[in-house]
Amino acid sequence: MLLVFYLPVLYTFYLSFTEYNGLGTPEFVGVDNFAAMFGDSAFLGAVRNTMIWVVGTLVLPVGLGLLVAVLAYGFRGSGWLRLPFLVPYALSGVAVGVIWSFMLGSGGALTQALQFLNLPGTELRWLQDSPLNTVVMVIAAAWQGVGVNALLFTVGLQSIPKEPLEAARIDGATGWRLFSTITWPLLRPSTTVVVGLSIVNGLKTFDVVQAMTQGGPARSSETLALTMYRDTFVNSDYGLGSAVAIFLSVVTVGASIIYLRRQLSLSSASLGGGK
Amino acid sequence: MKTLKLPAGLATVVVTALLATACGGEANDAGATTGELAFAHNKPWDFDAFSKVSKQDIDISLKSTQYSGDPYRAFIRQSFRTKESPGLFTWEVSTALDELAEQGVIAETTDLWTEAVEKGYVSDAVRQLYTVDGKQYCTPISVDNWVMFYNKAIFTKYGLSVPTTWDELMQVAATLKQRGVTPFWNQTKNFSFVWFQTLLAGTDLRLYNDLSTGKAKYTDPRVVAVMNNWLELQKKGYFNDPGQTDFARDLMREGKIAMAPEGTWFTADAALAGMTMGKDVDMFVIPAVTPGAATPIAIETAPVCVGESSKQKSLGLKFSQWWMSPQGQQPWVKQQGNLPFNSDAEAPTPQMKALKSKLAAGKYEYYNRYFEATPVPIRTVALEQFSAFLTNRGDPMPYLTAIQAAADEYWAGR
Repeated sequence: MLLVFYLPVLYTFYLSFTEYNGLGTPEFVGVDNFAAMFGDSAFLGAVRNTMIWVVGTLVLPVGLGLLVAVLAYGFRGSGWLRLPFLVPYALSGVAVGVIWSFMLGSGGALTQALQFLNLPGTELRWLQDSPLNTVVMVIAAAWQGVGVNALLFTVGLQSIPKEPLEAARIDGATGWRLFSTITWPLLRPSTTVVVGLSIVNGLKTFDVVQAMTQGGPARSSETLALTMYRDTFVNSDYGLGSAVAIFLSVVTVGASIIYLRRQLSLSSASLGGGK
Repeated sequence: MKTLKLPAGLATVVVTALLATACGGEANDAGATTGELAFAHNKPWDFDAFSKVSKQDIDISLKSTQYSGDPYRAFIRQSFRTKESPGLFTWEVSTALDELAEQGVIAETTDLWTEAVEKGYVSDAVRQLYTVDGKQYCTPISVDNWVMFYNKAIFTKYGLSVPTTWDELMQVAATLKQRGVTPFWNQTKNFSFVWFQTLLAGTDLRLYNDLSTGKAKYTDPRVVAVMNNWLELQKKGYFNDPGQTDFARDLMREGKIAMAPEGTWFTADAALAGMTMGKDVDMFVIPAVTPGAATPIAIETAPVCVGESSKQKSLGLKFSQWWMSPQGQQPWVKQQGNLPFNSDAEAPTPQMKALKSKLAAGKYEYYNRYFEATPVPIRTVALEQFSAFLTNRGDPMPYLTAIQAAADEYWAGR
């Protein structure tokens, strides 16, 4: 644990205060890397794109995952309904990126299909214009992520005790009312996990973007993880790359702590209210 | 916390990969000049086939490990922090080479170069590309000239002749466009520099060189004029969609483009696409935009280097020396179908022989390809901005200003 986690983290923290090209000895430069990072408009663009990813990852894969789980739950053969959503999860992010690049690239499958069907949208440059490129990549990632979220929500649905549901039905609650007043609150443990994972996954988005646009054109679709990669491995500016890594880690850990604390306090409150 | 673990994970993988593959398990050869040489590279070429030749000739075989993408550079850099730096590895003759030389982590090859240049194996112009502070580092495995490859069937179909001046080239492009054929190949990302290089060096080679060394600015009106010329060609529809990720070789085979500026290594690419040099595809020297005393030609050289502290230093240097010699170059260019940089080595195909004769007889001025000539931090930004310029045609000034900002920052730190 010390060797593979704490030491690299501490070393990255140390490097973020140095100028270092991967050779020789790192030179201490104070907070220069952080000043350069915050002064770079491309970094701020990466922050914006990362936020789009976080929101998009929450709305699409989580929302659709919940919808699939709820709609399929209780049906005979519901596993077969969920299966098509689960298959993409078996693919790597890079494979997803390659597949969607083929569809969304210049003159790609989607544009050809729209042309063939004489539908509008053929003029759209899916991967070349910002923020459209980030939005369509979020959709690509959602295509992959819906299945696993649906699975997690299904497990949550299966763990809900039948008694309160039966009682609510006897009282006449059905449909949306049953879901919003009984099912949804009882799903909180699963929702906490799924949403927490989605926030973290959204913040550290890398593989799909790297495979589809490499953050371009002109860094317009770059996320923080790609900024870190670009600075470190393309420009060999390990100090700046480490500063981005530290920033991203602080944001990720901070967001996770705030979210989990809020969820735990809500759970405590609801438990207290039930007493 | 996963994000923070990424650099750590990569570093672990890098070191593990190094130990396990490129250099791992190698005994300290302590000056041995025969045996198995660990070779880390980022090229798509068949080094296993070439290893059989070297094994037979000098009793050194290559144990090749291929890497790809930007992490390759990080892998090599990190290897110098261990006791297992590679016996031989591919690199690039850019500021990335300067950094390794300045840190003293790669073996000096001045003696090999002195001998090779004296014997006429390599030109002094190429030696300059491998020189840092008056000493040489690494050796070339190839020196490619950038020429224009073209689809012969398309030229024949429309009765086109090989152009010898820029005006003729533009006339050919106009004719092709009229006939519904896209004249030229271009692409964003790593190849976005190609037409900037062609147009700038072809217009004013001195300005090109000054730009590479920080003596001129990207916002110089002469550079802006070149960009506007490029924009004009784009607006005329002379290029394929730059966002296409297809290989030039495939677009050329399918007749979707007629011409592509490429290094002479493209002969191997053409073969991969099922085209035969001389029958399906041929090449010509790209004429200067502004004719001068000599026609500028970009050269691209692929170096191999030896780690200074490598346990296989002697073995690596011996292999490097052999690869530069006619004994090494001859089978190598035969395998690759490429132009030999060694004048004593014979060009492997009639087309390469013709090019070699043409270059020997004419007046040409060679310059380092933009990708290597431009300092890496400037290059990174330039490739992004050229890609954006290709994607969003318009006023070139914002793109040039962004590149110049990176250039100002780089040169201020030198």
